Amino acid sequence: MLLAPSSFAGENRLAVKRSKKSTKRGTRRPISTEGVEEPKQRRRVAAPSTNGDGHAEDETDDSAADDIAETNGEATDDAPTKGPKRRATAQSMAAKQRDISVSEFFAKNRHLLGFDNPRKALLTTVKEAVDNSLDACEEAGILPEIWVHIEATGGDRYKVGVQDNGPGILKKQIPLIFGKLLYGSKFHRLRQSRGQQGIGISAAGMYGVQTTGKPVKIISKIGANKAAHYYEIQIDTKKNEPQILNGRGEGVEIPPGKNEQAAIAKHEIEWEPQPHGTRVTIELQAKFVRGRGSVDEYLEQTAIANPHVTLHYKDPDGESRDYPRSADRLPAEPKEIKPHPYGVELGRLITLLHDDPNSTVAQFLTSTFSRVSGQVARKICTTAKISTRASTRRIGRKEADSLYQAIQATRIAAPATDCISPIGEELILKGLHQVVPGEFYAAATRPPAVYRGNPFQIEVGIAYGGQAAMQHVTKELLRELIEETDARTIRQFLIHTFNGLGSEAADRILKESKLGTRQSPSGLKPKEAETLLAAMKGVNISEGQSMEVLRYANRVPLQFSPASCAITQTILGTNWRSYGLSQSRGGLPKGPVTVMVHVASVWVPFTSESKEAIASYPEIQKELRLALQAVGRHLGTYIRRRLKVKQQSDRRQIFLRYLGEVATAVSEINAVDRAALYDQLLSVAKKRTADADVKLDDRGRPIEDLAELEKAENVLIVDPTAAPAAINRAPTEPETKT
Amino acid sequence: MAKTTIRRKRGAVAEAKEVAAKLSPRDKKTMGSIVGLADGVVVAAEKRKDPAVDIPARTLSNVRYSPRKGIIEMGNSTNRRQLFDLAQAKAYMRTMLVASGCKKLLLQGKSTSLRGMYYMLKHTIEGTKENTFDDQEESDTIIEDVEVLLGSLREELHLYAQKKGDLVGNIIINDSSYDIDCSRMGSGGYGIPSIVEPEVIKLDPKKCDAKFVLHVEKDTVWQRFNEDRFWEKQNCILTHGGGQPTRGIRRMLYRLHNELKLPIYCVLDNDPWGYYIYSVIKQGSINLAYESQRMAIPDVRYLGLRSKDFERCQLSDSVKIALNDSDRKRAKQIANYPWFAKKRDWQREIEKMLKNDFKLEVESLISKDISYVTEQYVPARLEEKDWLD
Repeated sequence: MLLAPSSFAGENRLAVKRSKKSTKRGTRRPISTEGVEEPKQRRRVAAPSTNGDGHAEDETDDSAADDIAETNGEATDDAPTKGPKRRATAQSMAAKQRDISVSEFFAKNRHLLGFDNPRKALLTTVKEAVDNSLDACEEAGILPEIWVHIEATGGDRYKVGVQDNGPGILKKQIPLIFGKLLYGSKFHRLRQSRGQQGIGISAAGMYGVQTTGKPVKIISKIGANKAAHYYEIQIDTKKNEPQILNGRGEGVEIPPGKNEQAAIAKHEIEWEPQPHGTRVTIELQAKFVRGRGSVDEYLEQTAIANPHVTLHYKDPDGESRDYPRSADRLPAEPKEIKPHPYGVELGRLITLLHDDPNSTVAQFLTSTFSRVSGQVARKICTTAKISTRASTRRIGRKEADSLYQAIQATRIAAPATDCISPIGEELILKGLHQVVPGEFYAAATRPPAVYRGNPFQIEVGIAYGGQAAMQHVTKELLRELIEETDARTIRQFLIHTFNGLGSEAADRILKESKLGTRQSPSGLKPKEAETLLAAMKGVNISEGQSMEVLRYANRVPLQFSPASCAITQTILGTNWRSYGLSQSRGGLPKGPVTVMVHVASVWVPFTSESKEAIASYPEIQKELRLALQAVGRHLGTYIRRRLKVKQQSDRRQIFLRYLGEVATAVSEINAVDRAALYDQLLSVAKKRTADADVKLDDRGRPIEDLAELEKAENVLIVDPTAAPAAINRAPTEPETKT
Repeated sequence: MAKTTIRRKRGAVAEAKEVAAKLSPRDKKTMGSIVGLADGVVVAAEKRKDPAVDIPARTLSNVRYSPRKGIIEMGNSTNRRQLFDLAQAKAYMRTMLVASGCKKLLLQGKSTSLRGMYYMLKHTIEGTKENTFDDQEESDTIIEDVEVLLGSLREELHLYAQKKGDLVGNIIINDSSYDIDCSRMGSGGYGIPSIVEPEVIKLDPKKCDAKFVLHVEKDTVWQRFNEDRFWEKQNCILTHGGGQPTRGIRRMLYRLHNELKLPIYCVLDNDPWGYYIYSVIKQGSINLAYESQRMAIPDVRYLGLRSKDFERCQLSDSVKIALNDSDRKRAKQIANYPWFAKKRDWQREIEKMLKNDFKLEVESLISKDISYVTEQYVPARLEEKDWLD
C-alpha cells in the first residue's frame, strides 16, 4: 500500500502547516483545487500533501528559491515590468526542479521526528519500536511482552534491541516496514492507535544508518515451527526504498529447531526464545541519560498506562528492571470509524468527493460520514441548494464550498464514541499501584466526548503518599533490607531501595541520623540502624516536592513540552487546595502526588508534528477538568480523613501517655489496683476521643467514613509497604516467563 | 455505663494504716487530704467521668484586701484542671505526681527541698522521650498548686525551700532541741531555716532580750550592721531576706512579732522593689495569699530609705539610679494596690520617687560614711519615730 498523498490532507498537521506557509508566500492558487486536479503530479513533498507545495522545495533547493518566479513554475502574472535583471529563465530553473523523496526530506529534517539530539534520538528509537510492538500485539490479540535492551558499543554509540512476542511479520513485508518511510497500516483509518503515520521505526533505522553506518537488523518469526527471517536493511534515502544487505539481497532464513538459537547467535544478534515475535536492532549515535525525558522514564510510564504489558528492560549499565503485567486482559479493541462531518475541512471534503465519483451527493454523505442519515443528508443538500441526486462528479469547488457551509449549519448528532478503548479505572489503579509507590490511589474515566467531530475520552489516575513506604518500614524489615543490599553506601542504599526517594531526601535523612555519607550499610551497628530508622520516620521528605504529572496520548507517554500541553495547563488551573494539597498560585500542587492523565482519541490533536503536547481544545480542557476534579474529591476525602485520624490519634496519644503516670501516682497514694484504674481511665479516654471522631470536618460537613471511600470502585487504599513498587528488594523475584 | 469498683490492695491498706498510726496529728490531716485527692480520681474513673481538680486561683483577681485585718486574703474562684483536656493533661499528671511524692515524704517522716522533690519526681514517661518535668520551675508551681489544692502548707507537705536569710541578735533560739545563742554568731549569723514551725524552732520570751527586730533587704547591708554590732548597741535582732523574703523568713518575723511581741522595722531600698518587699511582709503576697493569715505582719514599719533622703541626707548626685520604664510602671501599680491606695503618706512617698525620677539603694548612704547608716541614719529614724506605716 503506497501512500496516496492526498488522502488525509485536512488532518495532517504537517500538510496544514505547510499550506499556510505557501499561502503566505503569495501563492494565489485557490487553496484546494490542486489536490483534486493533479494530485499525482505534485508529489514533491513526501509528506502527504494536497495543497502543500514549494515550501519543502525551497528548503532543499535553495538556489532555485526566487520570490518572483514561484518555484512551481506558475506564471507570474503580476511580475513587475521594471525590476532587477533576470538571473534565470523558467527553463533553466525547471531543469533543477525534481522530486523529493520522503526519506530525503526527513533525513534533512530529522528534528521533526524527534531526532534533534543524541539523547532524544535514543528515546525516540526505543519509543517507536515499543509502540509498534504494542500496536502489533494488541491488534493480533496477544498479551504483549516486550524486551528492551540498550547496550553501549563504544564512544557515543548505542545498540538498541527491542523484541516483542507479537504475531511476527511476513517475509516480504519486513523490508518495507523497516526500510521505507510512510509505510504502514495505521494512517488510513480513523482508529485509536499509538502510531499514526508510519514514519517512526523506519526513520529510527535511517537515523541509525546515517550516524553509525550500521544497518537495521530485524529478525521475525510468525510461528513456532516456521523459519525465522533475518534481515539487515538500510534505507535508500533517494528512492525511499529498502536495501537488503544480507543473503545477497534476499535476507537469511533460520530454520526452526534445536539449532535455531545457535544459528541466531552466529549472526551476532540476540533473541529471547519465543514461538513468534519480532526483534529489531538499531545501532545509533546517542546519549544515555536518566531522569526526565529518559528511556527509563518512558518505560516506567508505559508500564503504568499499559498494565497488560510485561516489560523487561536492560540498561547500558547492565542493570535490569522488570515491569510485570498486573492485568491479564487485553484492552477492548478500538473500532475504526468513519469521519464525522464536523471534523472534515473543505479540502478534505473535496478529496473525498473526488474519491467517490459514482454516487449521488446524498449517497456520498451517508456512506462516507458517520451520523449522517438520509434525512440529515437531505437537509444538508437543501441548505447547500444542491440536489440530493446530483452526481458527486459534478460537484465543483463552489458547490463543495456551499456543501461545507451547509454541513456546519446543520445539526448532526455527535459521533459514536464506542470506538475508543480507554484503559479503565480498574486497570489505571493496577498500573499505578504496580509502578508508583503510594498509599492511596484513585482513578476516573470520563464518558467519551467530542471535539471538532473527533471522539475522545479522558482518564485520570492519582497516587498519593509516594514515600509513605519508607516511613512504615519496621525494624526487622530494615535489617533484612540492609542485609540484602549490595549498595556501597547508606545513601545509595536509601535511594535504590525506596522508590520515589530522591537524593536530596536521602541526604536529609543521613544528616538527621548523623551517619556518615560514605558508611557502608553492612557495617551498620544495631544502634546506628535504629537511629537511621528514627531518621527515616522523622524526616519530612515530601517537603518541597511537587506533583508529578504523567501525560499520555493513546497510552503513549508524552515526555516533552509539558508547559504547552493542555493537560498541564488544566492541572495548573485546578484548585488543589480544596483537595487537601498545598498549592501556590499558578504552580503545581505540593506533596507526594503523582497524577496520570490519558487522552484517548481516534485523532489526538497534538500541537506539533513531534507529538509532544496536546492542543487546548475547550472541549478537551473541560473533560480534563472534570476528571481531575473527580479524583481530587476522592483524594481530598482521604487526606482530610487521614489528617483527622492523625489528630485524633495524637490526642489519644497525649492522654495515653499521661494515663499511666496518673494511675501509678494514684495507686501509690491510696493503694488501689493500678491496672484496674488504668483500664478504667483508658476506657474514659477512648470514650472521650471517640466523641471527637464524629465531629464535623473543617467545613462543617460530617466526615465521610473512610470505609465508604474504600468501597468505591475507583479507589484503592493500600498499606504503603505492601505496594510492589515501594521497595526494591535486592534479589529480584524469579522472572515469570511464559 | 456500668459502674465498676476498683479494688484496693488489702495488704497495702493495712500497711498504710499502720504507718498512719505513727504520723503526727498534723501529718495525718495532710495525709487525709492527699488520699482524698487520689480517691477523687478513682471515683471519677468508676463513674466514667473526667477526673478533675479545682485549684484555687492564685491571681490578683482572686485576692481580696481585708482592711480590717490588714492582710491579703484569697478569694473563692478556682481553676478546673482536667485530665482529658489537651492543654491540661500534663499539668494534671504532674499534680498527681507531686501528691504521691508528698505522700512518700510523709510516710517516711522526711522532708526535702523543692529541688529534691523535682528530682524525686523527674523521670521519663514510659514509652516516650518526654520527661515528667524538665525544669525545677515547673515542679515549683505545681507544688504551690498542690498546697492550695490540699489547703496544706509547704512544710506540712514536708517540703522546704533554699535557706536564704540570716539572723543575729540578743535572743536564744531553740532549733531542733539545740539552744542557739544568736548573739554569738560571729560574722556569719544564724541561717534562718526554711521551716521555722514550732516543731522545729521554739521561741521563748524569757530567752529574748532584744526589744525590736530590724529587717534589712540584703546580705551586704546586714553585714554592715553586724560588723558595727548594731544589734548589740540597740539591743535588737537583725535579719535580712536576701531580696524578696522567703516564706521561712516571713514566718520567722511573724513569730518574733506575735510570740515575742517585738516590733518589726524594715530598711529597704527606695525603689518599687523595696516597696513591694515591705508590702509582702506587711500584707502578704498575691501568689501566696492563702498563707497571709500566718505570715503577714500588718504592724511592720518602713524606716527607709525614703524619697526625701536624697535631700535630707545631702547625698551626692552620683548615687542616683535613674528609673526605667518598668520601674515607673511598677510604682504606679503598687500605688494602686488597695492596701496602699488609702494611705496618704505612701501615695506621697511614691509620688515623690516618681518626681525624683531616680531610686536610691541603702548602700548609697555609704557615700556619706561607711557606718553612716548604722550609727546615724537608723538610730535617728528610730529616735524620731519617723517611719511609714
